[in-house]
Amino acid sequence: MSLLTVENLVVGYSPADEVLKGVDFCVDTGEIVGVIGPNGAGKSTLLKSIAGLLKPGRGSIRLNGEIISGHPPRDISRLGVAYVPQEQNIFPTMSVRENLEMGGYIDPVGSGRKIDMVFERFPILAERRRVAARALSGGERQMLAMAMALMVEPKILLLDEPSAGLSPMAAEILFENIVTVNHAGVSIAMVEQNAREALTIAHRAYILVDGRNHRDGPAATLAGDPDIRHVFLGG
Amino acid sequence: MPPLLAEIAQLVVNGVMAGTILAVPAIGLTAIYAVLRFPNFALASHATIGAFAGYIANVKLGLPILPSVGLAFLVAGAVGVATDEVVLKQFRPAGFITTAIASIALTIALENIVRFAFGNELRGYALPIERDWRFGSIRVGPQQVQNLAVAAAAMVMLFSFLAFTRTGKAMRAVADNPMLASIKGINADMISRLVNFVGMGLAGLGGMLIGLDTTIDPLTGFRSILSVFAAAVVGGLGSIPGAVVGALTVGVGEELCLLFLSPDYRSAVGFVAILLVLTLRPRGILGQRAY
Repeated sequence: MSLLTVENLVVGYSPADEVLKGVDFCVDTGEIVGVIGPNGAGKSTLLKSIAGLLKPGRGSIRLNGEIISGHPPRDISRLGVAYVPQEQNIFPTMSVRENLEMGGYIDPVGSGRKIDMVFERFPILAERRRVAARALSGGERQMLAMAMALMVEPKILLLDEPSAGLSPMAAEILFENIVTVNHAGVSIAMVEQNAREALTIAHRAYILVDGRNHRDGPAATLAGDPDIRHVFLGG
Repeated sequence: MPPLLAEIAQLVVNGVMAGTILAVPAIGLTAIYAVLRFPNFALASHATIGAFAGYIANVKLGLPILPSVGLAFLVAGAVGVATDEVVLKQFRPAGFITTAIASIALTIALENIVRFAFGNELRGYALPIERDWRFGSIRVGPQQVQNLAVAAAAMVMLFSFLAFTRTGKAMRAVADNPMLASIKGINADMISRLVNFVGMGLAGLGGMLIGLDTTIDPLTGFRSILSVFAAAVVGGLGSIPGAVVGALTVGVGEELCLLFLSPDYRSAVGFVAILLVLTLRPRGILGQRAY
């Protein structure tokens, strides 16, 4: 049984305006699964639906076999699904440490220990613990956003375009961190515009086009497919 | 000290005293704005309700001033939560302008309930008659100093609550990024009720402090709402430290204008301050940081 299973998911603002038109998706324990595709394919909508921010019209989302679709975000977060939005993913006027405290708001037990572990994993955040989050660089902000999600010791991390707007060097550091977090036992579902990099670190990947599954399979196989290279990886 | 300098010094001292008291309801207004994103003008009637709750405690029940001030906070806070749940919450989906207009209607209704219950006459608290303290040519009333201490203590407690408690930080988080706060499992409804309780409680406390300096009647809150709103806008609507800075600015400005103008024009300072800030620095002196 997969950790996360999405079946025939239909999500839209109205029946005539469906963004996801029957998507299937799954993540196994310990995997990094990439979701790539053109703009408007419904990649971010898929993650928001899993996180409980959008209510599905039809279909189901299960975590360890238990239905979670339609549950409020707070309850889904409590079950071990941590979502990191693409933008506005930090509390800008609060300090780095306070952001981490809010990251672990639903599970305050052992908050100090978890913060120490996060600081050990991300030393740059430890150095800047008293700085207001809005003063961080783009890469540091994404690192903080991911670190906040880790405060609830999630089973699965949903990352929505984590490298958007980052310099190549900052993006590279971020992808290294994503792999490190995965090696620590956290499964990851990652929507990414930078398809080449996503396929490099992912175990498997899904390609969505116009709200439907287009292709899926091992990331290395997809990266080696000439058609996919031509259409999605820029040749 | 030359007479003009002495007069200016006296006005500045009076302004700081008045500004510190004004800061209490201004923090309430700005805290509610930071979390719920609409200017709640019903703050005026809650200031009046607080002033009357304190009056009942002090004059009718014979309690000393400090417990009466605490009761003013609690009653106004409780009424604030109830009126928001019953009235204003229903308007929030219609947008902030509709909710702000509803809050004006609410304040008129509540003010008239107070008028119906207590009548229109001016009332005063049971205060001992004491001589002013003199520092050189500057005179300060002992009651003014006590009011200043209460206002300062309320602010210190609020800042400590926001800086050091988990719930206070959650309140700041909702003000900062409501969507992310919801993802992180912070209960926005609970925070809304809490901010209404604290915000309207501070309005009630401020209403009583204003009354301690003068008298109270059903228009106590209404008369001060322009200065309170000006203080919040000048400091940066949504910024709690900004409300303090704005209140001191407006308080001192209202006193210093007496050098040139009749006291009848004192409230014009609030209008001028709002006009200047919206023209020159629309986000206010400290911007719109919640904390």
